[in-house]
Amino acid sequence: MRCCDVERLWDEMREGVEPRREHVMAHLRGCPECQEVYRENEGIAYCLTCLPPVDPPQSMVGKILDHIKTTVKIATPDSIATVESPIGRLYVAFRHSGITAIALDRGDGEEAVLAKLQRRLGRGLIPSQAPQWVTDTVAAFFRTHKTDLEKVDISELTPFEQSALRAAATIPPGEVRSYTWIAEKLGQPTAARAVGRAMARNPVALLYPCHRVVDATGALHQYAYGVEVKARILAMEGYHPVRR
Amino acid sequence: MSALAAPIIGDHYRVTAPATVSHPVPGPETFESIVDDYQRRLYGFALRMTGNREDAEEIVQDAFVRAYRALAKMDPQQRAELRLQPWLYTITLNVTRNRLRSKRPTNVALDALADPDALLNETQEGPDQPEQIVDRAADMVLVEQALLQLPMHLRAAATLRFIEGRSHPEIAEILNQPIGTVKSHVHRAVRILRRILGPQVGRIVASDRPAAAEEEES
Repeated sequence: MRCCDVERLWDEMREGVEPRREHVMAHLRGCPECQEVYRENEGIAYCLTCLPPVDPPQSMVGKILDHIKTTVKIATPDSIATVESPIGRLYVAFRHSGITAIALDRGDGEEAVLAKLQRRLGRGLIPSQAPQWVTDTVAAFFRTHKTDLEKVDISELTPFEQSALRAAATIPPGEVRSYTWIAEKLGQPTAARAVGRAMARNPVALLYPCHRVVDATGALHQYAYGVEVKARILAMEGYHPVRR
Repeated sequence: MSALAAPIIGDHYRVTAPATVSHPVPGPETFESIVDDYQRRLYGFALRMTGNREDAEEIVQDAFVRAYRALAKMDPQQRAELRLQPWLYTITLNVTRNRLRSKRPTNVALDALADPDALLNETQEGPDQPEQIVDRAADMVLVEQALLQLPMHLRAAATLRFIEGRSHPEIAEILNQPIGTVKSHVHRAVRILRRILGPQVGRIVASDRPAAAEEEES
């Protein structure tokens, strides 16, 4: 066995499973140079194990978990449950943080409604029973036309969409406001169209009352569940458009 | 750790491989405990690879976020088959690579990691003389710097082998390389370290175990 082979086998020898062990040992016994190499290598390995362990900052775990919560909570699926309501069967997606989406089955069938919701949320949905707080939140809307917004999670929308919806939530039941009114309220009077888009993208219709937002002429314009439904909800809330 | 200087083959101290923590089936639901269990190890690894605490912290953060995303996308079968520990090392190493690539020239051990205060607080057997402790801290800085002078792939091999205490097959899995390549990288890393640290090694080893060294002389 040559010196270079012996040198190369040093780390394997430490594992104690090297099949050529006896040959290596025999060589080492007669070769002071290789003995020296082995000794030095051991010294190197020893020095490396002596490097003191350094603890990560205590705040690190918290930061990691926060980071994951804010950036990738998308990954975990929401739960989905059906809730019967005066306007029909509602599909309500929710997670611990609140209700994340609502869809009305307008006769498309469950599969189509769920597929659309899933696309909108960009994550999976796990069918489950509606917990009490979910049915309560929905029932409260149809009873009082008000919503405990703590139970609704719109944190994944853009900041603009969120503030537009919050502004819409200040419109009292039985009244309507225009897209421009919201734009002005946000301090961006020219952003009426952006407000329109934000309302159209509202994943939690009813609970954030985008149905109370109408166009400048007072026409109901559009609604995720159809304009007839928009009119019906407004009527339930006590608003009746002036006929002209 | 027993007597040091004597045997020329390394059975006089053992590379202690930290026990592998096993999670029944890793998933997003159990992620918090995964972070708890591995953050220290991955941080240590990233620190040795970069020589910089801030870098190490950000690397570990980034690595866990990637791990979480990947886990969330896996189906139950993939999760059950996943070997968590090597997988996490691999992710950490990839993040480290990307980071160091975009940040050259490398900041070779600019902040001394082995700070003397930490060493002073370490409880060691026997009363060490203060000047010995300072010497030791200086020596450890030398070792750190030597490690950082290695090319990245050799540094990864040496760190995993000697500091993290991983086996050859495990390192092969982490680096996604044949075992033969791993062995040769470890070998080359040690050769270079020997060249850089040569004169100091004997002193560091001897100063650690003066008594044992003397015994061996006889």
